[in-house]
Amino acid sequence: MEAMAQTIAERVISLVLDAVDVNAVLDDVDLNALLDRVDLNMLLDRVDIEAILNKIDIEDILDRIDVNRLLARVDVNQLLSTVDVNRVVGKVDVPAIVDQVDVNQMVQQVDVNGVMSRVDVNAVVDRVDINGIVEHLDLEAIVEQTDLGSVIAKSSSGIASGVVDVVRSRTVGLDESIARMVARLRRRPYTGPPGPPAGLRATAAS
Amino acid sequence: MTAHTGRTTPAPPPAAQENLQGHYAGFASRFLAFAADVVIITAGFLLVLAAINFVASIVTGRSTNFSRQDIWVIIGYVVWAFIYFAHWWGLNGKTPGGGLFGVQVLTEDGRDVSGRRAIGRTLAFPLSFLILCLGFLGILLGDRRRALHDVIAGTVVVYSWDARAARLRFLSRPQYSAPPESPGVPGPPS
Repeated sequence: MEAMAQTIAERVISLVLDAVDVNAVLDDVDLNALLDRVDLNMLLDRVDIEAILNKIDIEDILDRIDVNRLLARVDVNQLLSTVDVNRVVGKVDVPAIVDQVDVNQMVQQVDVNGVMSRVDVNAVVDRVDINGIVEHLDLEAIVEQTDLGSVIAKSSSGIASGVVDVVRSRTVGLDESIARMVARLRRRPYTGPPGPPAGLRATAAS
Repeated sequence: MTAHTGRTTPAPPPAAQENLQGHYAGFASRFLAFAADVVIITAGFLLVLAAINFVASIVTGRSTNFSRQDIWVIIGYVVWAFIYFAHWWGLNGKTPGGGLFGVQVLTEDGRDVSGRRAIGRTLAFPLSFLILCLGFLGILLGDRRRALHDVIAGTVVVYSWDARAARLRFLSRPQYSAPPESPGVPGPPS
C-alpha cells in the first residue's frame, strides 16, 4: 500500500513538473529579493572550503597556465612605478645579508687583472682633480720635515739665489708695511696687494 | 718653527705666505729696483767715461778729462739712461734692478710691453719727477699702484717672482730641513 502510494506520488510529481514551465516560473521569481533573504555568510560558514581546496590539484592548474604569456601581458614598468622601493629597501636588513657573504671567497673569484684590463685608467685619471689634491697638501711641512728639502736645496738653491730670495721677501714685507700704513692714514681697510691684471688672471686660470 | 726633531729653528724672513706673482708691486720694491738701476747706469757710464778719457789722452797726447759737469757728459748720461730703460722694458719688462727685486713692467691688461710702449714709458718717466715727485703718489694711493708714467704709457708693474717657491727654497735650507736623525750624528745648531 505504502509502495503504491509512493509510486503514485512520484507519478503525480512527474506529471506536475512536465506540466509546469520552469523557465516561466523562474522569470516570475525576483532573484534579487530571494538573495536578499539568504544569509550568505551563514551559508559560507557551513561550507568546508578546506575540503574543497584539498580536492583541487593546484599543480595541475599551474601546469596549464602559460606563465610567460601571462607575464607578457603585465606592464612591469608600470608595476614597478607603483612600488615604493625605498620602503622595500628599508625593510631589508643589509648588515645581516652582508654578514652572510663571504667577501674573501667572492674576491678570490674575481679576475682582478681582467677587470683592470677593462678599466680606462686615463679616463679615471682625467676625472681626478689633481690640482685640488695638491692644494690640500701642506707643501711647507713636507719640505721642512723631509729630505725633499735638501733635494730642492741641492737642485735649485745657490747662495746667490738664497740672498735674492731674502732681499725680495724683505722688500715685499716693506711694501706691505708701507701699504698698511697708508691705508691706516686713509682710514681704509687693507686686504693685501691688489691684482693681478685681468690678462694675467686669465692666463693663470687656463 | 719646529721641525720633527723637536729643535726650535729661527723663523724664516717675512716672505709672502702666498704666491704674489702677478700682483701689483709696492712702493719699496719699485723704488729699490729703480735705485739699483741708477747705480748700474751710473757705474757703467762712469766706467765708459773713464775709458773715453783714457783713450782720448793717449790719442791726443795730453790729459783729457770729461767732467760730470760738462753739458755733453750730462746729455750723454741722459741718453744712456734712456737707452737702458727703453731697451730692458721693451725686451722683457725687467731692468736688471727690476730683475733683482722681482718686479716687471706689463701692459695694463697683463701682456708684454711692446718696444713703442717701452719708449713712451721711458719718455714719460721724467714727468713723475718733474712735478715734485707727485707722479709717484699713485703707487701709494692708487688701486693698481700706478705712477703717472704708468698711466700715460698704459702699463703696470707687478711682482714677477714666485714668493711661495722662494719660501720653500728658504725652508729647504739645512737649518730648516731636518735630515733623518741617526745615532752619533749631531744635528744642525739650533
